[in-house]
Order: sequence, then structure tokens, then C-alpha cells
Amino acid sequence: MMDEIRKEIRNIEKSAERLKSLAKDNNAIRKNAEIILTYLYILKFITPVWGEEDQ
Amino acid sequence: MEYWNPYTETLPQEKLASIEFSYFKNLFSYAKSHSALYRDKLKGMEVGDIKTFDDIKKVPFTYKEELRKWQENVEPFPYGGLLGVDIKDVCTFRQTSGTTGKPVYVPESYESWQWRIESWCHILYMAGFRPRHRVFLPFGYNVYVAFWEAHYAAEKVGCEVIPGGALDTKGRVNKIIELKANAMTGTPTYCLNIAQEAMNMGIDPKSLGIERILGAGEPLPEATRRRIEETYGCHMFDHIGSTETCGYAGMCEAKKGLHIIEPFFLIELLDRETLSKEVAEGKQGVIVITPLGRRSFPVLRFNTMDVAIKGPSNCDCGRTSRKLMEIVGRVDDIRKIRGVLFSPKTIEQLIRSEFPDIVEFEIVVTREDIMDEITLRIEATPKLGKDDIENLTKRLKERAKIKTNLTCKVKVEPQGGLPRYDLKAKRFKDMREVK
Repeated sequence: MMDEIRKEIRNIEKSAERLKSLAKDNNAIRKNAEIILTYLYILKFITPVWGEEDQ
Repeated sequence: MEYWNPYTETLPQEKLASIEFSYFKNLFSYAKSHSALYRDKLKGMEVGDIKTFDDIKKVPFTYKEELRKWQENVEPFPYGGLLGVDIKDVCTFRQTSGTTGKPVYVPESYESWQWRIESWCHILYMAGFRPRHRVFLPFGYNVYVAFWEAHYAAEKVGCEVIPGGALDTKGRVNKIIELKANAMTGTPTYCLNIAQEAMNMGIDPKSLGIERILGAGEPLPEATRRRIEETYGCHMFDHIGSTETCGYAGMCEAKKGLHIIEPFFLIELLDRETLSKEVAEGKQGVIVITPLGRRSFPVLRFNTMDVAIKGPSNCDCGRTSRKLMEIVGRVDDIRKIRGVLFSPKTIEQLIRSEFPDIVEFEIVVTREDIMDEITLRIEATPKLGKDDIENLTKRLKERAKIKTNLTCKVKVEPQGGLPRYDLKAKRFKDMREVK
């Protein structure tokens, strides 16, 4: 199940990055996309794979 | 058994160690490229030098004094060389209490603050805080971090939070009753104060309906923990943390020691003499902490100078994280009094710099029932009259309160009433543990 969760986190990350880039002229949308990315940082931190170098 | 994060909280210890090793290396690289302090401190050392878990010990300790030094006259104001992100990304200012010297200013980016809150959610959840709880926080949060962490983490866990600042103790008792709060965090001393105030108002603390309390800000001896449980008819839990390191360990329902929040923190417990070897279970060690995911204020191997007894990795609750069985105290002379760090040196500096008419003094800390009291015993020059003595006493109380954040009693002794010293003076007497 953790593999599925990690895969979904990567999918959301791609979407949030794209949202951020699409909304570079819209403060509200860009900021909310950045906040999604903040929580993705935490989601990756709390779903670690041991032995991997990168989070 | 319920966990906040069943995945990380039940991972085998060797897997947690592997993750923490990996996170440590990430943070090492990050700190070296983003923090002026660590660019300087880690000169000549590369992440490739950390090949095994033991190699972490090659990384020098970070001390509080260094943090202060790297904030003095170093841009960007006020964080200086400690800042690990662009200053535009800092969203929250916090600071240490400053009772041991100049306060350390702590920058939190939105990311780091949320990381910190996530860590604190573990502490609350293992103490049994749940969405059904209405949590009362009896404290004016100000620029200090602990109750802000409790506030936001309680929200995230799903509790309803009642900020209880800007009220006196009676007002807080009334607010608990009015809103039917059923959980609380607070210093153990203040929790007992609230109970005492309730009794003064003719209210049995058990009738307040508080089910759970998380202690914060000062040590929680087992006897005090049980006394609070009996007084309120509730469950009382402990945790430990600091402004620099975040809350890093908490007590579960088994109430046997504090679980380290892994893999958020790499905690080393090192022998006091050499500070180089991890101590064995049941032995005392100095706590060295690396918060592994906080990037706005990266700190590697922070030597807390706190001493704890190392606990086992197994627990009735099923969590696999390592445990601290008991916080023994501090390596140096700093004491925690009513939840505030107190340095006798602060009083000495105050008296020596501002009160030339005080010829000798002594600081005595006692525990009256469960309340810590500081008494400043002073001897003044004989030339002072009654009015002068009264003014001196009043001014000393005021200045000591400002310098230490603690209320001190002042007792004027007759001439020769205090001991004199030829060699090392012993002007600080902590009588709290003396029977």
C-alpha cells in the first residue's frame, strides 16, 4: 500500500508544480499551489523508504 | 492500538536508523549550501565523508553560544547566519526565553513550521488527544514557541482549541467551566495552580471535566504527574522539546518514559565524559539532537547539555521508537524554575551592574508544596535608611522579574547575616530536592 501512496504523492506533486507554473501571474492560485507543495514535502518525509538517499 | 502514523511508528529500529542516516546526509548537504554558519563550520568536510552511521560523530556539535554568535551583527537581521531559506520565505518569528543570555531568534518558513506541527501531532496523539477534545491552553503565547506548537498541532489532530491567554487564573477556571473544555496543556506547576484556584472558588477540580493534560515547559516528576492525575481525576502526560530543536519526545498511554519522535529527530545519547560514545540502556547520556526535516533553521548535532537516561526500544503501546526514560537535568548550572530556564549568573550580573549598595547576596530556590520559590537574600550597605532599603527591595524585585521572567522574593538580612567566601562562592542554593 505504501508504494501506491508514494506514487500518488508524486502525481500530486507534478500537478501542483504545473498549477504553480500555470498561475505565475495569479498570487492566490500560486500561493495555494505552493502550500500544497509544502504538505507534499511533509508527506514524503513521513512515507520514507529506508536505504534511499533522496526523500 | 491507535497511532498518528502507524507506518513510521511501528517500523523496526534498524529501518528507522537507516532512514535517519539518509535524512541526516540530506540535511548536512542542505545546511552546508544554505546556512552561513554551516558553510563555515563544515569547511573541509563533505557529505561523502559520512559513509556509516558512526561517521555522523565526525560532524562537530552545535552549541547555543554559537547560535548567538552567528546572529550578532550578521545579516540578514535578525536571523543572521542561522537562516536556511530566503528571508522572504520566513513566515513566523519565535525566540528562546533569553534567561541564559541573549535570546536566539528562530525563523520558521511555512514548510518548517508545518513540519514542526506534524512532529507535535505525534506527541498529542500518543497522549490520547482526539477530535472529541476541546483543548484549553492556559497561557499567553507571546513569542515563545511551545503553546503555538500545541495550538496548531491540536487543530491538526482534529481537536477544538481554546486560546486561554489574557485571563487570570480565576478567569481561566471560569472559561474551562463555561466552554466545558475537556483537555489541557500547561506547565505542571500551573496546572496545580489552576486546581488550587478552583478549590478556592469552592469547585472540586474533578468536576471541571478535564480528561487529559499534556505537561510542557518544566520537568514532570512522577509524583507530580500522579498528583495532577489525582487532583483532576484525569490522565497526565509529559513531553520534551525546546525552541531550537522542536518537541522531540512524548509520553504514550503506557506512561513509561518518552518516545523519541522518529524519524523526525536523530537523537544521540552520549557519555558525559567523552561525548563520543552512545550510552547503553539504563545509563545516563547527554542529549544531542538533529531535527531532520527543518530547513529554515537547519541545526546539526545540537548539544542540549541536558542529561537523560536511555530507555528500551520496546513498549507496551507497540511503538518501536527509542525512549528516554527520565530527564535527569542539565550539565551546567541552569535550572528550570516554574517552566522558565533560570541562570544564577543573570542575578549576579544584575546585582553587580545595577545595585552597588548590595554587598552580598544569595539565591535560594525552594519548593513550597509543589510551587518553586526564588528568594534573593541580600545584605545592603549600612548607610542605607529604612526608606532606601524599601526602594532597593522594590527595584530589585522589578528588575529581577524583567531579567528572569520570574517573580523573586527579596529578604533583607542583617549585617554579616550572609556567608563570605574566600574561594569559589556558593551563592546559589537549589533546595528543592533537599529533604
